[in-house]
Amino acid sequence: MLCDKCLKKEATVLYTEIINGMKKEQHLCEECATDYTSFQLGNTLINSELSLNHLLSTLLEAYNTGNTVETGRKPAVVCSQCGTSFREFMQNGKFGCAQCYRSFHNELSKTLKGIQGAVNHTGKRPKGYISTTDRILKDMTETERLGLKLQEAIEKEEFEEAARLRDIIRQMKKEETNNA
Amino acid sequence: MLKWYEQIVPDSDVVISSRIRLARNLEDKPFAAKLDDKQAREMVEEVKSIVPLLSERDNRKYYACNVSTLSEIDKTAMVERHIVSPLLAEKKQETGLILSDDETVSIMINEEDHLRIQAIVGGMNLEKAYEEADRIDDIAYEKLRFAFDEQYGYLTSCPTNMGTGMRASCMVFLPALSSARLIQKLIEEVGKYGVTIRGIYGEGTKSLGSIYQISNQKTLGISETEIIENLKNIVAQVVKQERKRREYMLSVNSDEIEDQVYRAYGILKYARQITSENAMTLLSQLKFGADCDIISFDREFNIHKLMMGVQPGSLQWNLGKNVGSLSRDQSRAEYIRRELPTIK
Ligand SMILES: [Zn+2]
Ligand SMILES: [Zn+2]
Repeated sequence: MLCDKCLKKEATVLYTEIINGMKKEQHLCEECATDYTSFQLGNTLINSELSLNHLLSTLLEAYNTGNTVETGRKPAVVCSQCGTSFREFMQNGKFGCAQCYRSFHNELSKTLKGIQGAVNHTGKRPKGYISTTDRILKDMTETERLGLKLQEAIEKEEFEEAARLRDIIRQMKKEETNNA
Repeated sequence: MLKWYEQIVPDSDVVISSRIRLARNLEDKPFAAKLDDKQAREMVEEVKSIVPLLSERDNRKYYACNVSTLSEIDKTAMVERHIVSPLLAEKKQETGLILSDDETVSIMINEEDHLRIQAIVGGMNLEKAYEEADRIDDIAYEKLRFAFDEQYGYLTSCPTNMGTGMRASCMVFLPALSSARLIQKLIEEVGKYGVTIRGIYGEGTKSLGSIYQISNQKTLGISETEIIENLKNIVAQVVKQERKRREYMLSVNSDEIEDQVYRAYGILKYARQITSENAMTLLSQLKFGADCDIISFDREFNIHKLMMGVQPGSLQWNLGKNVGSLSRDQSRAEYIRRELPTIK
């Protein structure tokens, strides 16, 4: 399989992100995967495990996949639900509907930092609310979940914890193959 | 049941009331800017339908109405008592109101957001106000689907409310700071901490009766508890400064102040006609005197309730009729004479 990003090299890494409740999977070559993270895949500690079934959880901002076709001019951003354009929003400062927040997502972060000094809600959630992130995590296998943890540990450069998780994952994988 | 402004509460020498307001929107209806008249009528009915559930779950009775069915006097009186906002009272589209019998909880329907849940309690007690608003929010959510996003929190019409959708405010009485012309400085100071101060009666910083509202500005990236803690700290500072200033004023000017307080009482008790501006100034002086124990009465009474009562709308609402401005000034004087207790 070819790398989803550069479309040139062989993909060796499955890169999973959960951004704002949307699960996104990409098959990447080592070089492209490195671009997304602060660490080098060549790190001796985790080398072989990473290229096997590699899960990444990042809190990166939305990024370009690199394989989209360049379209000359940027089209006007309009909410598909209520027809409010981003321009209109910037002029009168009012969203037209709940969907506007998603429709203007890419444009919004600068505006919000200006008004609120933050971009993420940290307060109350409706009673019994299950976020899409929670749901995706719930649907994952135990190995996948541990994979996410492993990646977090690597990003925080907690290598001891990473090694511990790696061993657990390796053990679970072994058992899976034995059972199959 | 006593209304919040009829209860005797701590710290009321400076903090008159604490209020929490939560902005909520239904996820399947356009927001106010894009809501057509038919959708507005449907939305008002849908939200009003939670009244039986509220009355059942909460220890109070709730009433609902369409604001368009209220008289102009009713509307003005409700604005003066902080139950509804001027925006709701003036809106052309269908709007609604849900109100608890003790006037502690109100829900404005189809204001800038579909719902504005508000809880107001006497004195310095933001926690209590939040507890009330939070519970009503949970009960309402059982019947209504609110627009909520994992990243952005509660989705509101205006990005200045998104996230918690919460505005916490304290209504404060600052006669000493305002007579020392320190309000502007205070506004600049608290602004650094994301807090605003504005006059309640009258325009801008020239507030009638020295009553101001202190509120949080940011609603995103900060939790409800943090907003309350932050505001509480700021208000505590303001209270301290106001009390210090009062002490200072009394130490250098006690004879003049005592004279002013008793003169205010005299005019209020015996005048035959009085404008609302004049009444507010005098009531403010009287409250100051009572707070500082310069004057005392033969019974407990809430001067702030009187301050609301002398506003044009509330006055006519109490009278039960619309009257011209001269006879209004006469009725106001009569109302104050009747309400004002005797000096002890
Ligand atoms: Zn690549
Ligand atoms: Zn929209």
